[in-house]
Amino acid sequence: MSDLWTDITVYLSSDKLWDTSRALVLVVVGFVLAKAVSSLLVRVSKRRLDAHGQQLLQRGSYYLILVVFLISALHELGFNLSVLLGAAGILTVALGFASQTSASNLISGLFLVAERSFGVGDVIRVGTTTGEVLSIDLLSVKLRTFDNLFVRIPNESLIKSEVTTVTRFPIRRLDIMIGVAYNEDLKKVQAVLDDVADKNPLCLEEPKPLYIFMSFGESSMDLQYSVWAKRENFLDLKNSIHREIKEAFDANGIEIPFPQRTVHHITHGGPIPHSEQHAPD
Amino acid sequence: MTANNSDHWWGQFQLSEHSVLEWQLGPLTLRCRYLNGEWQIGYQRAREDNDDQDSDWQRGPSDAPPDALEHCARYVFNHTNGQLHVMPQLPDRALVSRPRQPFNLIAGEEVLVYVSAPLWLTLDVGEKHQRLDDLAIQRPSDTWFGPSTLEGELCYATRSHCRRSLDELPRRPHRAIIPVLIRNHSDSLLPLERVAIPARSLPLYVAEDQRLWTPSVILERERDGDMAALRIDDKPPTEAGRCHPLASPRDTSSSKLFRAFNTLFKASTS
Repeated sequence: MSDLWTDITVYLSSDKLWDTSRALVLVVVGFVLAKAVSSLLVRVSKRRLDAHGQQLLQRGSYYLILVVFLISALHELGFNLSVLLGAAGILTVALGFASQTSASNLISGLFLVAERSFGVGDVIRVGTTTGEVLSIDLLSVKLRTFDNLFVRIPNESLIKSEVTTVTRFPIRRLDIMIGVAYNEDLKKVQAVLDDVADKNPLCLEEPKPLYIFMSFGESSMDLQYSVWAKRENFLDLKNSIHREIKEAFDANGIEIPFPQRTVHHITHGGPIPHSEQHAPD
Repeated sequence: MTANNSDHWWGQFQLSEHSVLEWQLGPLTLRCRYLNGEWQIGYQRAREDNDDQDSDWQRGPSDAPPDALEHCARYVFNHTNGQLHVMPQLPDRALVSRPRQPFNLIAGEEVLVYVSAPLWLTLDVGEKHQRLDDLAIQRPSDTWFGPSTLEGELCYATRSHCRRSLDELPRRPHRAIIPVLIRNHSDSLLPLERVAIPARSLPLYVAEDQRLWTPSVILERERDGDMAALRIDDKPPTEAGRCHPLASPRDTSSSKLFRAFNTLFKASTS
């Protein structure tokens, strides 16, 4: 007990206490200053940078200031920084081998940031996942899907796979696949479709709607009718124009057929009569 | 319920409590009801509206409630009186109009066309003119105006054609007339397929015959290429007769001189 008391009194009377206090003050000041400076920088750059740029600036400035103050604090505690940096170099190599995936994600993240394919707030589609970008971090991109799920996609996967930015351009095309019965007049069908598009105010007048005959299908003649809409109105147009096409087809007596099979019902038992069988080649 | 003028559909109106004032204006039916500390605004638009025919307007008290219409909104106030301000306003985007048949403008020539612009109406209440709504009387179609789907501007398409003669324009109280003078200073033909007009930058005037006008828009094709300088006159057109200012432009910041052939003035150059 007396030894412990002696150690404490020796420590309190030495310079170490003073150094530790200074290091602690440096760490606290570093935290406060990093927070204040990063917030200030974001406020100043709000008009010049987009959401992603602001996020990068905030994090970059925060960690830079924090690291400078932590190094100073370590210096105060008597650590030899050159030895520490050397050790950090060796540690980095070791960590690099051990964490190849993370390093790959990190590098991919830098490419993603430089490429600017999408930003925070954009809606992107990766594989089967579609969602709004919440943040683009060094290791991963975070998405919020429309059914309110949080999805983390590693940057490496984003670099390797096809990414669709849904909100890149102000207008979008909606492709409507329609099948009409074989006895319908295709000119009349096209005229009815054009009239529907013309009357829907969400459907852009220019670029003009596109009418494509796709194929003679099994049960119907298959058409594609493509209309353009302002990006924000895309869903509204999708809902309204399908309803309007159905109403217009009903009003004009145009049939949308469903898949049909012709079945021959044989009433008498026994083998199928020769006349009802297909003739051999 | 009082109205300060019955010659035109806009103005300032004083509604008593629980009363409903209704407008029939082109395709739009609008009903406004004033309750204690609350305004109810209901409206709907007829789907069929022939832009090439004359139309009239009606205003009067109604027994039907605003919420019987397709769209209805309630606005609640701490203190408000029954004062309602209804004013016409030009669209909040550029307007694109096309002639009935595309035509070519000979080098060195100029042509004057009249564009019939759909109008919006603004609803303000009280002494402070607090804005309740800013709605299109007739919702025009959206359209894209630019050389490609990557580059351009989202505009409204006027459903009516631009005309060379003023007499050909139908008299419709919910539309304004924009005179557009196109000058071709280049040495080549100017094939004219569509004209875009920066409606946001135009003020609105009312003539003595209650027609609504904007100042003339002058598009000049420069000699050196496909650029057009766009200038907006600072007074109402002479053919409108005596006019009074009615509404200021939505966008007052923009300059009256543009060089914007590709985005504001598209000719079929192919």
